[in-house]
Amino acid sequence: MAELEITGLRKEFGGVIALAGVDISIPSEKIIGIIGPNGSGKTTLFNVIAGVHKPTSGRVLWRGKDITGRPAHEIARAGLVRTFQQAMSFPGLSVRENVRIACEHGRSHPDGARSKWNSPEEILDFVGLTSLAGEIAGAMPFGNLRRLGIAVALGANPSLLLLDEPAAGLSHHESDDLMELVLRFPKIGIGVCLIDHDMFLMSALCERLVVLNFGTKIAEGPPNRVLNDSKVTEVYLGNEL
Amino acid sequence: MKEIRERPVSDKAAKDIAPDRLTQLLPERSSERELGWLRLPSGEEIVVAVIVIAFLIGFPWLHPGYRFLSLAITTGFTAIALYGLGLQFGQAGIMSVGHAAFMGIGAYTAGILAGKLGIGFWGALPFSVIFSALFAGLIGLPSLRVSGQHYIIITFCFCALLNIAFTNGGSFTGGATGLDVGSIDPVFGINFDRLLNAYYLIVAALFLCLLITYLLVNSSYGRTLRAVRENEVLARAVGINANVQKISVLMVSGAFAGVAGILQAYYLRHISPTLYGPFPSLYLALMVMLGGSRLLYGPLIGAIIVSFLPEIMHLDPIDSRIAYGICLLVVILLLPGGVSAGLLNLYRRLWSKRR
Repeated sequence: MAELEITGLRKEFGGVIALAGVDISIPSEKIIGIIGPNGSGKTTLFNVIAGVHKPTSGRVLWRGKDITGRPAHEIARAGLVRTFQQAMSFPGLSVRENVRIACEHGRSHPDGARSKWNSPEEILDFVGLTSLAGEIAGAMPFGNLRRLGIAVALGANPSLLLLDEPAAGLSHHESDDLMELVLRFPKIGIGVCLIDHDMFLMSALCERLVVLNFGTKIAEGPPNRVLNDSKVTEVYLGNEL
Repeated sequence: MKEIRERPVSDKAAKDIAPDRLTQLLPERSSERELGWLRLPSGEEIVVAVIVIAFLIGFPWLHPGYRFLSLAITTGFTAIALYGLGLQFGQAGIMSVGHAAFMGIGAYTAGILAGKLGIGFWGALPFSVIFSALFAGLIGLPSLRVSGQHYIIITFCFCALLNIAFTNGGSFTGGATGLDVGSIDPVFGINFDRLLNAYYLIVAALFLCLLITYLLVNSSYGRTLRAVRENEVLARAVGINANVQKISVLMVSGAFAGVAGILQAYYLRHISPTLYGPFPSLYLALMVMLGGSRLLYGPLIGAIIVSFLPEIMHLDPIDSRIAYGICLLVVILLLPGGVSAGLLNLYRRLWSKRR
């Protein structure tokens, strides 16, 4: 069953059409990838889903409930949590406090799904940051900051995680580690919707890929089929002469 | 097509701060012991608290004389207002240079209630607190749309406007001459007209205010405020209603100012608009920055320095302003966390050398 149902989602910034009516349905407990060239509307899609921007038109249904244009904190509390392209943290606070804040404010336990973790320490252990729990977040290197970003999102107890380019700016080694982490989410009942540019990585991880270009969906399906789609290769590699 | 990106993110700025400066701004906690939602104080913190309490209670035994005792009382109610400002600036990161306005609301509420309805100190106290908090919440509404220096300008404007309103309020506010208030009704036979009793009343209020500040800062409420201060976008993304948190801290801060305002009104027995204008507001901002807003005793230290410095050094008002300016520059450049954080770092450095 589709957990997140997006229909006819459209977002205009002044004259710029960032999303021109997108339909996507995202089932839970799977990894879905969203790809597309720069400016194709991937991040705008996340921002509109997560309540950072209000859509111009269209609907976002989360578990049958209309969450279109609801404020960001309500959407997060409903179990739909996103991370950011720029590794975001609460830079002046300790790593433990970062995660703890999310634990205290994310989806609360009574409304069904109990958190998979009982404490911030367990989440730090899950993402492999235990040894850095006392560090000030802003003083950490970039790779750890990315990990922390995911730990904070997990703290909010999501059932679907929207990851916006989690591997951007990481070394090969770090990004492999991170992807191994992402692969573990469906096993513990957290669905993932992932934006990234690394095609090799995306086709290895995702069960289904959605391709956006100029705010419209141009292809959708299993990775090997999508990546051989003529429209997709045209977008990425240009027209044959 | 250009990719549309979201607003520039605050953690970029934080990365420009060297790590050692970050720790200076935020001295790491010496205790992580907790009881339910509350972080318990460490042994060091308890020792410092005992010293501070003993000093405040024992101060009259040092034979400070009439002048210094009354200066201590002034420092006391100023410090109460500063704890509110310290909470909103230190924890939530919202500065205000119009904070005396909320003291004014508290004081004028008391003055008008006393003059028109004959309600004394104890009856007016809750009204002062409520009105100050409500006004602070109302003036805080723009903080949801603008932040940083833009909001600071709004607070300054509000303070100036309120001053004009007080001055032109006719018989209701007493115009430029202001209002007279009576003395505090005795409780259990304690007459607060005696300076020493007034001092202990202020000290009791200050203790209460320190306790409330400690509880707020070290609970999950304080953590939430820090989250909003550090990264509002991320705070929203993990389920924090940042708007509610901001308004709530401004209201708490306003309530503190209301208490300070009514205490000031009843101590001076007379209130006038100039007490609550932009200049006193700037002094409050100065004190909170000098003392440091993130540590428990920062506002108190700031209030003591600014109140007692000109007295001890025999400076006239013009010289003292120059001295304050120099102090502020020195603190901003050398001790970004204020004198309190500077003292803490000094203590840590000495302590680690000895071991």
